[in-house]
Order: sequence, then C-alpha cells, then structure tokens
Amino acid sequence: MVIDGLDLSIDAGEFLAVLGPSGCGKSTLLRMIARLSVTNTGRIVTDPEHFQTAFVFQDAHLLPWRTVLDNAALPLELMGIERDERHARARAMLTQVGLADAESRYPAQLSGGMRMRVSLARALVTEPRLLLMDEPFAALDEITRFHLEVQLRDLWQRRGMTVIFVTHSISEAAFLANRAVVLARRGGRIRLDRHIELPPQRTNDLRSDPRLGYEMKLLMGAMEEE
Amino acid sequence: MKKVVPPLIPFILITLALEWMVRGGFVPSYLVPAPSAVLRALFDSRDELAAAMAKTSSAALIGFALSTLIGVAIAVLLSSSRGIQRAFYPYAVFFQTVPIIAIAPLLVIWFGYGMKTVIASAFIVSIFPVIANTLTGLLSTDPALRDLFRLYGASPAVTLVKLRFPAALPQILTGLRVASGLAVIGAIVGEFIGGQGLGSVVDIARTQQRVDKVFAAVLLASVLGLALFGLINLISAVTLRRWHASEQGS
Amino acid sequence: MMNRRTFLSASAALLTACAKPAKIRLALNWKPDPQFGGFYAAPYDKHGLDVEILPGGAGTPTVQMIGAGSAEFGIVSADELVVARARGNDVVALFAVFQNCPQGIMAHASRHLDSIGDVLKEGTLAIQRGLPYARILEKKYGFDHVKVVPSPGGDISAFLRDEKFAQQCFVMSEPLQARHAGVDVKVFPVADIGYNPYTTVLATSGAQLKSNPDRAKSMTAAVREGWRAYLDDPKPTNSHMHDLNPSMDAAAFAEVAEAQKPYIQTGELGAMTAERWTTLIGQLAELGDIPQAMPSQDCFRNL
Repeated sequence: MVIDGLDLSIDAGEFLAVLGPSGCGKSTLLRMIARLSVTNTGRIVTDPEHFQTAFVFQDAHLLPWRTVLDNAALPLELMGIERDERHARARAMLTQVGLADAESRYPAQLSGGMRMRVSLARALVTEPRLLLMDEPFAALDEITRFHLEVQLRDLWQRRGMTVIFVTHSISEAAFLANRAVVLARRGGRIRLDRHIELPPQRTNDLRSDPRLGYEMKLLMGAMEEE
Repeated sequence: MKKVVPPLIPFILITLALEWMVRGGFVPSYLVPAPSAVLRALFDSRDELAAAMAKTSSAALIGFALSTLIGVAIAVLLSSSRGIQRAFYPYAVFFQTVPIIAIAPLLVIWFGYGMKTVIASAFIVSIFPVIANTLTGLLSTDPALRDLFRLYGASPAVTLVKLRFPAALPQILTGLRVASGLAVIGAIVGEFIGGQGLGSVVDIARTQQRVDKVFAAVLLASVLGLALFGLINLISAVTLRRWHASEQGS
Repeated sequence: MMNRRTFLSASAALLTACAKPAKIRLALNWKPDPQFGGFYAAPYDKHGLDVEILPGGAGTPTVQMIGAGSAEFGIVSADELVVARARGNDVVALFAVFQNCPQGIMAHASRHLDSIGDVLKEGTLAIQRGLPYARILEKKYGFDHVKVVPSPGGDISAFLRDEKFAQQCFVMSEPLQARHAGVDVKVFPVADIGYNPYTTVLATSGAQLKSNPDRAKSMTAAVREGWRAYLDDPKPTNSHMHDLNPSMDAAAFAEVAEAQKPYIQTGELGAMTAERWTTLIGQLAELGDIPQAMPSQDCFRNL
C-alpha cells in the first residue's frame, strides 16, 4: 500500500507543490490523478469528469528520431489533428518557451535544459486544464532551473491552468507554488498544508527575499519532523 | 580512405606471407593454395563463378528478405502479450539450435532440388537473430514514453507504429547485421544439398581436389557476406544518423 | 666368448624387441561397413602394429590426411590417388580391396532401361558431379535431358519416392536397401563404360614408405590376412562393425558382405597391376583432371 489515508482537495487554477521524502508516494499520487495507475480503494474525483491533462516527467523523454517540432506536436498528432494545424500550434508553443529557432533540430543536438523546454512545450500544446509535473527540473543545473521556474510560473499565470508539481526541492516548491503540501514518510498523510504567502509575480529577485526563506523554513520543519 | 585502408593492411600482409609460404614449400599447395593460384582460378573459371555467385546472391537475398519480414512480424506478435511470448518463444529458439546440415535433406523433400530449397535454408539459418533482436528492441521501450502515449489515448497499434517500432530500430538493425551473414552461410549449405550456386562449385571442386577453386568460391561467398553486411550498415547510417549514438561521432 | 661390441648390439636388439609397437592411424573414407571388413579383421598385433582405425563419413578427406600426416594410412580410391599425386601429394597405393569398381547407377526396374546411357534420357540423376566417372558420362552422353542433382550419400528416400529418380550407388549396397523397401532396381555398373579404377585402396605417403618400409610391409601383410579371414567368416567382424555403426542392421551387414565378394575375389588379394594404373592415368589425363600422364609405377607398390 503506497498511499493510505490521503484526503486532498484541489481547486482549479491552483499551483500546488507536493513535497515529501522519497517513497512517500508523491509520484504514485500523480500517476493516479493522470489515470495511469489505478486506485484500489478510494477515488480520484474531478469536476468536470473529463478534461485535457498533461504530464511532464523528470527526463524530457523526447522521441529522438523526431525533430523538435514533431516532438512538440506529438500529443496533437495522437489526437488526430492534421499536420499543418498541429505544426502551427506546436510552433507557437515553442516560441513561448523560447525555442522558435530550434524547431528543425533533433533532441541529440540540444542541451538538457532545451530538451526540458521542448517537453514543456509538448505538455502545453494541447492547452491542458491540468498540468502534472514529476520533479521535471531535478536533473538540470541550477541556473537553468531558475530560468525554467520563472518561465513555468509565467506560463501558468497566462493560461490559468491547474498545476500539481511534485518536487524534492523546498526552495523550488516555495518559489513556484501558491499552495504546498508536505506528505509524511509512509502512507502519504499530510503533515502540512500551507498557503504560500509570496507575491503573485515571482522573479529571480525573490530568491534573496527573506519572505522566501521564511516559507522554506516552515516547509523544512514539516519535512524534518520524523 | 580512413575506413578502407586499415583493414586492407593485414589482408595484404597475410596474402603476401601465404604466397611466400606456399611457393617456398613450407605449406603444401594441395592443402592450402597460394593466393596467386586462387586468383588464377577466379580468372579461369570466371564465367562459371559469376553465374554461381548470381544464384547464391539471389537465394541469400531472398532468404534474408523473408527472414527480415517474417522475423519482425513474429517478434511484433510475440511482444504483444506475455502469454503469447511464453507459449511461442521457445519455438523460435528452435530455429537457432537446429543443425541445418541435418534438416537440409528434409528441405529437399519439401521443396525439391533447386532455388526453393536454398532460399528455405538461408531463411531458417538467418531468422532467429531477427526475431530475438527485434523482440528485445520492442520490449525495451521507455516506460515513460509508453505512459505518455497512453495519456493521449493512443491505441496499441498507433503506439507500435509511432513509438515502439522506431525506438526498436537500432536493435533491429543489429539483428539484421548478424542475419545477413547467416543468410549467406545458409544458402551455401542449402546448395551443397540442393545443387547449384557457389555451394555446388565448392562441393564439386572439393571432389576434384581443386583447392584453388574451392578457395576462389569461398572468397566470393565472403564478398557476398561483406556486401550484405555493408548494405545493412548503410541503411543503419542513413536511418539512425541524426539521432542514435551508434551512428554519431564518426 | 662375448666381447663388448657383441654385448652392446645384443642389448640394443633386446631393447628394440621389447619396445612398444608403432602407433598407427588408419583413416576410413566412410562409416564402418563390409567394404572395410578385412581392415577390422586384420591381426595387427601379430605384425607388431598398434593400429587405431578412424571411421569416416561423407567427405572425409583421407587423401589429404595422408599428405598432411594426420593419418599414417588411409582408404582412398585409385582415381583420387592419381589426382592427388598430380597436385603434389605423394600418396602411394598398397592394397586394393575391390579389384573391380563397385560403383554404379541404379534406376527403377519399372523404367525398363537397357543401358547406362538410357538413364540420362529423362528424369533426375543424383551423382557426385565432381567424380571422374560422372564427367566421362557427361562427355559421352551429355546431361541435356536429365536433371543432375547432388548425390544423397547412401540415403535412398528420394529414390524410393520418385520413379524417374536414379542415383549413384555401390552395387552391393543401395540396391539391396531398395529391394528391401519393395522397389525393384536395375543397376548399371560404371565399369560398363570402361571406367574401372581400383576402389577401397589402402594407401600411405611416400615419406612413410621411405622412413618406415618395414612398417608398410607389415601393414599390408596384416591387411591381407584380415581380408582372407573376413572373406572366410565375416560374422564376428560384422558384429563388431555393427556396434560401431548401428545405422546398418546385422542382416544387412551379412547380405552386403556376401554380395561384395565377386568384386574382391578376383586373382591375388589386394595386388595391383601397372597396366590397370596406366589405363586409369590415361583416362584422367584425357578428361583433363590431371595436366599430364605420370608413370604408373609411382602410384603403387605390391608389398
């Protein structure tokens, strides 16, 4: 039993960070929400019942034999959208993540950060109502992380989607989210459910702001309590 | 140039050494022919050898094409379910272990003396690496990507065509590389029994104690094997060039 | 009175007499069957020889083995010996089991064929095309009307299935098998077209003959005795060979041993004539298998 006794309610438009030690079930929770894994007891209830969901993994997981453009357009292709339209939409998305010039390159020719941005563009190309992210920036270097976090937050604000962001990083959780839950080591009970008190505009200047440090301290306290 | 010269050097050295050893009487010429004698045989029997090589080449190519198509198809089938795999994969292994020399007379019973038997022999000997490698490739798909495809509602057929198959391509090509040489061997063995092509030239020349002609035919068979191998490498380079580590950095 | 020299030579003689018999390998060119009966029956110990018989099979290169030294003695056919000599392989014949070549072509009796040429008028013919007799046949009659395929080497299943299928055989072997399987056959001996090389010939290398002439003599003597014994009573040797080669049953061993006698027992056991060798050399030269004729005396010794 990976998760036992978790009762969580999420509002539309929230940016929710999910923290917790390894093995606490945060990735499993995400997969259940995505309907990739099945619950034994308990349910995932959504309103409305069906809507567009997107998933971003820790590695970019691009198809290496396809160009950046075709990778970004993949979800639309799988949904049956014809070529010109899906290429146009993918192109637009790539521009939003700053990769407009790279559309005919292949993943092997990109840096780690660029590949993650393609993965992001791919996730957003279907204009999802819910974006699930499983430690997507964990494998990247810090500067790239900082930039991508700002970019993600910006995209979230402009699109009004719901984001559930699983992470190990307390600073990332505090910087990105407007609500953070800390799960217990075993079984996934909630140790802390906090509304992050930081301004809605989050820029890199915030990183040296003491308010961020305060939020981080609270989150850390909940994490360390075992 | 960088690719052609290095393998040529040992070849030239060995050829010269062999020529010297046979001419000098260190190695009897009825056991090992001097390279010059092999060249002579190649020239003297060029019409016969050319015709034989044409026959062996077509049989090997057709057998290889069949084992590619059918082997990949079988692997796709086996990869579709654990149950099917467990039930039928051991029979695929049979193709690996059966000694073709023992089966060849049976092939003659079923297909008669001629091209069909030779093709069947080439097919049987070369199909297993195709099945094994293709299956491994198809079963090794990145689970995260499979999740992604599931998330967007892709059917198993679409997932096979757009994800699992392209992802398996490097492994499939590895299997084809191995199978190509085996197809030539299978064709030659089939020809010992079925009677045509380079295999027949080898068999008859051996009976006549014409070692030079035997080696000439064997040399041509090697060239054929190399050509097929090179063809697969070319296909691999073209299809994998832009995205697979194995074809980059050259 | 014994002086020092006599004492030394006496001791040397004593030492050689007590030495172990020479270890010899005899390579056969087929599985143990009645055509090798005499070799298995031979009293090698009596002649001071320790002989290991190496059974063979399809394509065993006995002529090359003798040349390369991987066997001191081997069984070859006279024509392949001549060709080997032409290629520089100094092989010499010592004892010919079959005075007359038992090779032939067998066809279904129901075809009512008259001569060997008739076999080549239609249907399929399974022969070893590289053999000299096959090329003599081709030269004489042409293969235009018959489909030539490789010989199945003792396996008559294709022959049984197809009435128009003819195949190379040893006169006392495959035809008997066919008759047992219910098919009546007509056999055309290759000798009919005038090609009659000594077959199942004991041979050794010229080098062996030079360095060990007594050994070759002893070997030939032992083999001659063995064949006399086998022709008198093949049963014990057949039983031994059957153990080594169970693919042929005991009754078949007995039948073949009897049927092969006429090909062996003509004149002195194993002896060869220069005339026969000269004829053979001429035929091979004419075929082009050897570049030129060679002296027949080089090919054999009657020891």
